[in-house]
Amino acid sequence: MKRPRIGVFKFTSCDGCQLSILNLEEELFDLLQIYDIAYFREALDRAPLKEYDIGIVEGSISTDRQKKEIVEIRERSRWLMSIGACATAGGLQALRNWSNVADYKRYVYPSPDLVSALPMSTPVSDHVYLDFELWGCPIDKAALAETLISLLAGKRPGVPVYSLCMDCKMKGIPCILVSRGEPCLGPVTRTGCGVLCPSLSRACYGCFGPREGANIDSLLVRFEELGMDRKEMVLLLDKMNTYAYRRVRLEKAD
Amino acid sequence: MKKLIKTDYLARVEGEGGVVIEITDGTVAKVHMRIFEAPRFFEAFLKGRPHQDVIDFTARICGICPVAYQMSSVHAIEKIFKVTVSPPVRELRRLLYCGEWIESHALHVYLLQGPDFYGLESAWAGREYLEIAKRGLRFKKLGNDILTMLGGRPVHPVSVRAGGFFSVPSRKALVPLLPELEKAFAESLQAIRWSASLDFGDPVVATEFISLGNTTEYPMNEGRVVSTMGLNASIEDFLASIQEYQVDYSTALHSGIKRQGTVSPYIVGPLSRLNLNHGKLPQEIRSAMNEAGISLPIANIRMAIIARVIEISYAFHEAMRIIRAYDEPDRPYEDFEPSGGVATWATEAPRGILIHRYELDDRGYVKGATIIPPTSQNLAHMEKMIYDFAVTRIGSQPDHLRKETEKIIRSYDPCISCSAHTVIIDRRNLSQD
Repeated sequence: MKRPRIGVFKFTSCDGCQLSILNLEEELFDLLQIYDIAYFREALDRAPLKEYDIGIVEGSISTDRQKKEIVEIRERSRWLMSIGACATAGGLQALRNWSNVADYKRYVYPSPDLVSALPMSTPVSDHVYLDFELWGCPIDKAALAETLISLLAGKRPGVPVYSLCMDCKMKGIPCILVSRGEPCLGPVTRTGCGVLCPSLSRACYGCFGPREGANIDSLLVRFEELGMDRKEMVLLLDKMNTYAYRRVRLEKAD
Repeated sequence: MKKLIKTDYLARVEGEGGVVIEITDGTVAKVHMRIFEAPRFFEAFLKGRPHQDVIDFTARICGICPVAYQMSSVHAIEKIFKVTVSPPVRELRRLLYCGEWIESHALHVYLLQGPDFYGLESAWAGREYLEIAKRGLRFKKLGNDILTMLGGRPVHPVSVRAGGFFSVPSRKALVPLLPELEKAFAESLQAIRWSASLDFGDPVVATEFISLGNTTEYPMNEGRVVSTMGLNASIEDFLASIQEYQVDYSTALHSGIKRQGTVSPYIVGPLSRLNLNHGKLPQEIRSAMNEAGISLPIANIRMAIIARVIEISYAFHEAMRIIRAYDEPDRPYEDFEPSGGVATWATEAPRGILIHRYELDDRGYVKGATIIPPTSQNLAHMEKMIYDFAVTRIGSQPDHLRKETEKIIRSYDPCISCSAHTVIIDRRNLSQD
């Protein structure tokens, strides 16, 4: 049987999510038994193909060139998924969406006119249809493996979309919000990291983005009772998934 | 007549970049490292953020070396807050860095650069390379295991904070890593012999090597800046002596060191560290180097892979030393009151000196940020080396020249995602340090 061909594509990002493929380590060679990684610039020196069975996209869309490229990649991929907070939510660089990109350019580059960047950094799903999305900054490599194996088996990937709190409770970790009165994003955030921060006595800072049906404003009321001011609360949500949290709040308000 | 030899999109490097060699009337006119990685403006959106965000955000500059960003930033922040970490916390940070050096170097040695010596398109493209690749993945996994143990995950670990860690592992949790580390260390000594036996072709001789130094240990988290041309400066003075400039073909700024009216390129990274600090390596590693016929200093940048393998071996050795001596600290972090000020710090990222400079307000919120990653320091040097190389190969086939150029670039282990985040330094502010 011919192995399905995977293409891995990078846009604006830190490369950490595509690194998760190589971080499969021992399982990488197992993956290569069932899939043909046919395009993966970070690890493979091979010219692009006309068509891929599966396209994996890392990074946000933040330049004019990328806007054209993502459409082309959609056309060449039979099945397309985005991986990581940059691709699913615009990433940290989407913080520019709430500022003026011209000011940003001036601050970072001596000759700002030489630098081309769109005013906004946006998720891939704002530009093309996606068959699947894997959230996280970074994604969990086991969830990626699960997705690729499920796809081959023709079943829906077992990647949960409920809140971090559910898994945190299952682990028996004392609630950071209740017992320590620290602002934790767990109630509005997707699970998937393995409850890393609460396990290390730290409040969740939202790597996996908003969970389905997140009620952010009611959590913010709770934060207010803890004595936080509004500006501080906005900073908490404005991180790697800023664009997604803000959108969820707007949609709820409608 | 003008002729261009181009690589549009370099493979097996991190990030998006290419290279163009322009040949006019039979002579090499110029070499450009074209960095088209989209800018992300980190220094701009860090303004107004609380200090913990600096640690968490700058990690996101690079998925391969997030710890380096966390280390340079947390040290700079602690310098401003005047907080000193406890000795076991200092050791744990060094252990965390060992994990990252292993993971990042193993990726580059075995998956990115290694295939060049076997004429392969990837680490999984040839049967003869399979065992070598598997060794690399074993090393890489162990590096990632250390990162996971201390930081929860290998990419963007979550445990680092000002004053120490959010939580520290118990001795009982760390000790089980020892048998694996012992095995890997023994294997890494063989790997040193392997790396020295590779066919490097014609040497490409570097100019000035720069690393942290003046330390009793092999440098990671602190030190002065030293070079093979006699430089010995504080980080602040070093920062003041380098000149950054923007070129129209790159989203990464270039830099060189100002000397006698000119700006001269230099190289940072494993080869620089090794050349300037090899006396600090443990005896077992030095014996393995002798047996493999490695003589120092190494001036040929194509041989940087040897330095990376030696550093993998050192990081295994150092990790074992730290774990064996580890006593859990009384508390995971020191308390402090955030305060304002300016501080510069540099640590040794896997790819070389990573400089961070922050100005914080009285509440510890960012007023200004400067980040100078190793790769942007190396870009000008890369261009010079490729230029010199192309001059000697002017008559060769364009395809041969292109392939060889790509190999030279790869031997630097460029991290292009990192390099696209350099900020211009406002020199008027530097005197405040």
